[in-house]
Amino acid sequence: MSIIRWTPTRELMNWPQGLFGMQREINRLFEDVFQGGMQAEENAGVNFWTPAVDIAEQENEYTVKMDLPGVKKEDVKITLESNILTIRGEKKQEKESREGNYHRAERSYGCFQRSFTLPTTVKSDRIDALYKDGILTVTLPKDEEAKPRQIDVKVK
Amino acid sequence: MGNKNHAALVRVGPKFLMKRPEGPKQIVAPVADVFETAEAFVVKLDLPGVEKEKVHVTIQPGRLSVKGEVGVIHRNESSMLLEEIGLKMYYREFNLGDGIDHQTAQAELEEGVLTILLPKTDEVKSRTIIIH
Repeated sequence: MSIIRWTPTRELMNWPQGLFGMQREINRLFEDVFQGGMQAEENAGVNFWTPAVDIAEQENEYTVKMDLPGVKKEDVKITLESNILTIRGEKKQEKESREGNYHRAERSYGCFQRSFTLPTTVKSDRIDALYKDGILTVTLPKDEEAKPRQIDVKVK
Repeated sequence: MGNKNHAALVRVGPKFLMKRPEGPKQIVAPVADVFETAEAFVVKLDLPGVEKEKVHVTIQPGRLSVKGEVGVIHRNESSMLLEEIGLKMYYREFNLGDGIDHQTAQAELEEGVLTILLPKTDEVKSRTIIIH
């Protein structure tokens, strides 16, 4: 089980909405330059990137959404190992892109991996995943016992 | 924070001080790759979650603009445990030089990646000159 790099700037980016549009752009520039450089060194030449994720909890399920634009469905692997959900894969660069003369290169290529610890209340045998329009959605249904129940408390 | 009158600055430049669209969406400039081959310029943009019908590509002389809206996500009843993607709208503009054939430009959306092909006009295409 490997550990995924935590990027606090990524989390800060979402708040307050829109206000830091400019700053975000600048941050991204710095992230690309410095982080990209450091990661490349650590992984000995292997490109590594971290896709953005949204996790929501509904009454009956948890949904994990991951931004994976340009990643082929076959190149994504989802595994569950003692309550740890791991989504990993690789985004390959298209052939025609490799031969071009670049003016801008902002998109990420290479391997990605993220892991999440699931609550024990998830029905691990009923996990479902769907890939559409560059977004991977993993649905994790909750166990019956974990669903919120209403209990009437009688006041005596 | 007043959402209604708040202008989001997407990229540097006065033209980008645009009005916010309705709803709690932030405008984000999608990441792009721009490269050049012998026949064309190619622009690739990451637009995850945007359906084909919700992408607008406009080419004017000297300017290419791309707008993409992420489909409506019903999540009122859900509580977000982690939010890195959020609700957003994509918008970005590019300056184009001369020598682009606007009429034959093409765009294709696949797996959340928009590829715009901007063919060069004959005058600017690179040629190999044969030495006699």
